Amino acid sequence: MPSPLCSSGARSDGPSDAATRACSRPPTGCGGLADPATVNETVRVRVVQLLSVAALLVAWEAVARAGWVDPLFVPAPSAVARALGRIGAAALAGLGETLLKAAIAYVLAVVIGVGGGILLGSVRPLRQAVNPFVIALYGMPKILVLPWIMLFLGFGATPAVVYATIHGVFPILVLVTGAVRDVDATLVTVARAFGARRWQLYWKVVLPAIVPTVLAGMRLGVVFCLLGVLVVEMFAGLRGMGYVLSSLANGFQAPELFAATALVSAASIVIVLSLDALNDRLSQWRGDLR
Amino acid sequence: MNKQIVLIRAVILIVTLGSWEIVGRTANPALYVPPSAAIPALGRLLTLHSYPDLLEHLLLTLREILVAYAMAIAAGLGAGFALGVNRLVGRAYGPILAALYAVPAVVWYPSLMLFFGLDAASKIAFGFLLGFFPITLAVLAGIRQVNPQLLVVARAFGADGVTAFRKVTLPAMLFTLVGGLRTGLALAVIGVIVGEVLGSKSGMGSLINHAYGLFRTPDYIALVVVTLILIVGSDAVAALLERRAQRWTE
Repeated sequence: MPSPLCSSGARSDGPSDAATRACSRPPTGCGGLADPATVNETVRVRVVQLLSVAALLVAWEAVARAGWVDPLFVPAPSAVARALGRIGAAALAGLGETLLKAAIAYVLAVVIGVGGGILLGSVRPLRQAVNPFVIALYGMPKILVLPWIMLFLGFGATPAVVYATIHGVFPILVLVTGAVRDVDATLVTVARAFGARRWQLYWKVVLPAIVPTVLAGMRLGVVFCLLGVLVVEMFAGLRGMGYVLSSLANGFQAPELFAATALVSAASIVIVLSLDALNDRLSQWRGDLR
Repeated sequence: MNKQIVLIRAVILIVTLGSWEIVGRTANPALYVPPSAAIPALGRLLTLHSYPDLLEHLLLTLREILVAYAMAIAAGLGAGFALGVNRLVGRAYGPILAALYAVPAVVWYPSLMLFFGLDAASKIAFGFLLGFFPITLAVLAGIRQVNPQLLVVARAFGADGVTAFRKVTLPAMLFTLVGGLRTGLALAVIGVIVGEVLGSKSGMGSLINHAYGLFRTPDYIALVVVTLILIVGSDAVAALLERRAQRWTE
């Protein structure tokens, strides 16, 4: 039974049950292709979004110009925009450095998280023995061990990468462990019955089954890795975006601080949204495949 | 079988602590702090020898957490319901909230420090900010779970708005809502502590920073243990309340 949103026949060219399956996976797979009423609402949503952001900026500018707020603390958007021009190059360099550290940490977190998750998920005694420790470490606020990491690794890029990896690895590890544990036992049995070798079992059954979870973990992990790098740079960095932000705050340079904050926020939103888009693409592809 | 697992876990713990003890004694003890040095440090901390004003700092951190969480609940519920009543409004602002949630929250902290200074206010603001998002998003998700037909039926049987909300909407969304409230507490706690570690004059985070800065690593470990107990305790209370609320829905 196709969901009502998708009954417009936008995908009726395909085999009907494949289309149904792709459509019944909310909310992706049928978003923009539906009937005019939905399109109309999407337009209205966009208009509301744009208008509210514009209204917010105008009101903020007006309040700042009228002198109702201290420009030392709340600079007008126009002042922030000018400040962005001034600090642009330095901020971009800092951002690049932060993103590079975060990317290294991210790769490490994904590799360790997925690898460890597959190991823990498929070896039951190991999982049962280690799981409480993993959960405890996952729940523990990592900031508490940051000073210790700094004592060990000193200043520079290493503590940032290590701390961000610790931040990013646990959500991925926990999610992937659960996904591997919950792989449909029937699939494994059938594959075994048909004589699959061990590597075939992992490559053809387990890996495809855990792809959505791995992607969800990667989506979570990227924010955690960025967060980790920024925290270390703020705590005791001498370079990078976190250091730029905290030194601007210490110097009471509000317009520059706001501009730099906006820059990092925009960068992380773009990263997360593009991961989301990739995720949607892949899950659509998986839906069509089945 | 079950006993065996517990045994293995105990062995892992003992082996970890034991090898740590050995490494800590042979290597630099200021870095590794063997358990045999950490336990006396914890004793000194709890008997108020190393930090006589521990209690004041602990209470300050606790107070910051409570204020931040209360504000996050009030604002999160308010914003969630305000965005949830209208479909268009929810669809317009929900994604904006979700996008902001995707920003690593610590980027806002320097601005909050600039606004509110080094004292408790900036920690409360940061804890509030972290707690606010999951609560708001949980309210939005919870409202979406409510079966609209149930509301229509309730109205048809003469329930007014308040009754329909209390008897239909609230029970249907409670599960999600309570989960969001628990996440909100955990994040408010983390926000306050991260804020304190990144820059403050009082509170547990500032003590941790102080001990670290003076290389008083055993004291640092003891402070971390006390802070962890505070965190785990608050989460245990939240878990208890969560289970209560879930039983009430069933």
